[in-house]
Amino acid sequence: MQTKSSFLFRLFIASLCIIPVLILSALSFSKNWSFPSLLAEEFSTAAWVDLFTPGNSISVSLVTSLIIALLVGAASTTMGFFVSKTIAYNRYRRSLLLMAYLPFVLSPVILAVCLKYYFIKMNVAGTVWGVIIAQLVIALPYSIIFFTGFWNQRIKEYEAVVSTLGGKPGYALRKVIIPLSKSLLLICFFQCFLISWFEYGLTSVIGYGKVQTLTVKVYQFLTEANIFYAALSCCLLILPPVLLLWMNKRIILRYLN
Amino acid sequence: MKNKSSILSYFLLFIFAVLPLIAGLGYALLYSFGIVGALNTGFTLQHWKAAFADKAIITSFLYSGTIAGAALLLSVSLAMAAALRYYHLFKKGFISYLIYLPLAFPAMVGAFFIFQFLSKGGLLSRIFYQAGITSSMQQFPDWVNDKYGIGMVVTHLFLSFPFFLLLFVSLIETQRLKDFFQLSASLGASKKQTTFRIAIPVLLQKSFPNIILYFIFIFGAYEIPVLLGRSNPEVVSVMAVRKLQKFNLQDIPQGYVIAIVYTLFVLVFILILLKQKKLAYAN
Repeated sequence: MQTKSSFLFRLFIASLCIIPVLILSALSFSKNWSFPSLLAEEFSTAAWVDLFTPGNSISVSLVTSLIIALLVGAASTTMGFFVSKTIAYNRYRRSLLLMAYLPFVLSPVILAVCLKYYFIKMNVAGTVWGVIIAQLVIALPYSIIFFTGFWNQRIKEYEAVVSTLGGKPGYALRKVIIPLSKSLLLICFFQCFLISWFEYGLTSVIGYGKVQTLTVKVYQFLTEANIFYAALSCCLLILPPVLLLWMNKRIILRYLN
Repeated sequence: MKNKSSILSYFLLFIFAVLPLIAGLGYALLYSFGIVGALNTGFTLQHWKAAFADKAIITSFLYSGTIAGAALLLSVSLAMAAALRYYHLFKKGFISYLIYLPLAFPAMVGAFFIFQFLSKGGLLSRIFYQAGITSSMQQFPDWVNDKYGIGMVVTHLFLSFPFFLLLFVSLIETQRLKDFFQLSASLGASKKQTTFRIAIPVLLQKSFPNIILYFIFIFGAYEIPVLLGRSNPEVVSVMAVRKLQKFNLQDIPQGYVIAIVYTLFVLVFILILLKQKKLAYAN
């Protein structure tokens, strides 16, 4: 009985995880899918092949998304790592963390519409830099919250030992702190990358529709009722997170063991 | 040197976390009181009075809360039941990897998939037609862009179920619940008593901050409602953006009122969490 229900549960989980990917992949290769056909009348690799054509709008969005996500991931991880240290050892740690918590939990799109005025005044609305700055407002607080737990008494003692033995703070950072936090830095980078990669509301408001990331592109294709290109963009959106999550899991498991 | 890096850290915290909040909400507050902005002539409470008199805004908050509550109730209860019963399946093997896959779905992609699956022209409708359950597209029920928000709840469920499942599986392990189960069984407790007196209270208590945070995220979600919701009733974020981004300038102050009330709502939740000292960072 237990085996049968286990089997059914495994089947349910497998379906839940695989069916969406299959449907999206099939749609991305489809050309015509009229009701009531279960499968598309015509399959084609044209849309995927077109991705490699110079100037293809989806490829441009893919590169834009990648650049933004990589920059946001790298900047927020680096800054968050050092800011979190100052906060973690501060006696007003809780209040400072509350400040970091708020931008992270607020709806990005509501935050964006409130901030849009300033981005227009700074002449960065509708630019890639504007979107990067706006995304840092949510990614950096996440990074700070993420790293605060890392700075504990043990780390403090390691730094003290290096200092006692004549090592400078920079040496302690390079030879002790960074090697100790390597896995966490990588995980945080992935998470911040994903925050940026998944972001739509804030990007569409601050980007003004001019910064066409993949999520913005998906929405555009949907409003144009072009489900096949939307599916293709969705597949491209899923691909890096799947790779990162797979790597993340391996790293997490290695870190836990 | 140490002082310089501390100053830089506080500066970055101020620039990227504090300043955007103060500036954004400050502007919203001033606009809603008629002090700044086009068509505004001076301090007035009329936009706040108009917003609170507008039933659509109050309905919007209640609707968003109901969608978030329904999605979380389903997600947490199903994930908890699955984790307690099939905990061992997620320790190793193919399923333990596969369950991470939905976490790679952005909200936009999740909403698109559910639309293609549950809409009248979607895959499920086609399966029903082919199986002879329905005889036309119109006979298939409205499960997306419907007034009950079924499509939205299902999408949030699809995206949050794996997260809570993994969370509960990890809590069962870290809280050594299996040891407690054995202990309670040896003391004569029934399986039902063990589940309802030990497992559920421990899991709920430990996951409480995550549940509240997820509630806040779903409450303020934008991508899923904008694709799968409808214009009446409307969720908070979609209504705020519509009022602030569209062409009717008279609606803008009310849009800012919604943004401020929403922020206060989130603040209250965060303060409740902090008061109970249950946030991970507070310990």
